[in-house]
Amino acid sequence: MKVKDGFVLRQIAETWVVVPIGQRVVEFNGLVSLSESAALLWSMLEKGAKQQELLDALLTEYKIDEETALIDIESFIDCLREKGFLEE
Amino acid sequence: MSMTAEQFDNKLIEVAKKKGIPLWGKFELTGRCNLKCKMCYVRKEARDKEIIKLERTAAEWIKLAEEAKAEGLLYLLFTGGEVFLRPDFKEIYEAVSLMGFSISIYTNATLITAEIANWLGKIPPSLIEVTLYGASPETYEEVTGDFNAYDKAVMGIDLLKAEGINIQIRTTVVKSNKADIFKIIEFAEHRDIQFGIVDYISPRRDGTDNCLGEERLTPEEVMALNINLENYYRNKSDEILKEAISDEKDDLNGKPSDNDTPFPCGGGNCWFWVTWDGRMTPCGLMEDLATFPFNIGLEKAWKDLKKKSLSIPRCRECTNCDLKEFCLTCPARLKNETGYYDRPAPYLCSLAEKLRDNLS
Repeated sequence: MKVKDGFVLRQIAETWVVVPIGQRVVEFNGLVSLSESAALLWSMLEKGAKQQELLDALLTEYKIDEETALIDIESFIDCLREKGFLEE
Repeated sequence: MSMTAEQFDNKLIEVAKKKGIPLWGKFELTGRCNLKCKMCYVRKEARDKEIIKLERTAAEWIKLAEEAKAEGLLYLLFTGGEVFLRPDFKEIYEAVSLMGFSISIYTNATLITAEIANWLGKIPPSLIEVTLYGASPETYEEVTGDFNAYDKAVMGIDLLKAEGINIQIRTTVVKSNKADIFKIIEFAEHRDIQFGIVDYISPRRDGTDNCLGEERLTPEEVMALNINLENYYRNKSDEILKEAISDEKDDLNGKPSDNDTPFPCGGGNCWFWVTWDGRMTPCGLMEDLATFPFNIGLEKAWKDLKKKSLSIPRCRECTNCDLKEFCLTCPARLKNETGYYDRPAPYLCSLAEKLRDNLS
């Protein structure tokens, strides 16, 4: 899975922000704020990470059980898919 | 991703103010304009070669944007003068638009061609804000000195709109165009474009004359305009009314204030302006309180500007005034109105008095 090109992930004033750039502004004119864990997932999805890699990263970075981490990942990916941010 | 837009903005602003992060930056790419609005606070002649020589290059603006990004800038405005007078605007915009800013452009739209609109439509900014100076060629001739500019502006707006670009229209209201205001609102509504008003005209920041006596609305006229607008919007849907009120709030009060800075808008604390000739100031209305980012780098210039901004004397009379909650006072306006940062400006006092009387 991979997020589409044309987005820049930035940390500004203690907030993670995704900014559309170039042609991407045509289909999405706005900003997306992400939690720290969501920003971690986004940055991995920029490189086309697999679900297992996302899971490993969350389990390494956060004190969280596998079941909860999987639910969080699926929920985040559903949200990205719904907004059209993922390459299918 | 569950934070609302308002919560998101509030969090950013709160942290930016606390830490002195320049969340907003305004790049005044040129002071030159193809129109000759009498009331403008900055305008230089469109073909003035001496002024052109003093303007900063495209490479310098692009580098400045990179430095601003490193400092945390998110919202970047390109303004002028008229930015589309610069033949290298395309070069600047294309480079900066890939850096990760939310970009806005101020323009009079008279230089927008089908080619420019098509180009921008492919890599659009978040917003283009067009200043419309009247609702007829006659009013344009009176305000801007160019009879043909009205048709050009209308064509520019329609070309941008046809490309799906997010546009807002705003009008600087002066004596020469105040009779057109509701026609301008209808123009915007007809095109489903949000509308806003600028009803405060500042003296020029360089101290030269900008026909304030001839063109600026008196406090009585400002209040009459506000009352007419309130009556107009009262008959509109709730949604339009909310938008109109929101615009007014932005124009009058700017962003939420911070008691630690003399600028209620956050100038010199979480936003800056860079003038066409390279001065970083807390506000576009100022030019004497400045640092020089093209010479010393943006990081140092911003750090120095924050210190300088805090050193500006506050107006004690304004701070203790009963009218302060109704007043548009700020150090930049006081300086331009009176020559001092800390002396009350009779025009602003009178305006505040009228606003209070109207609300009570």
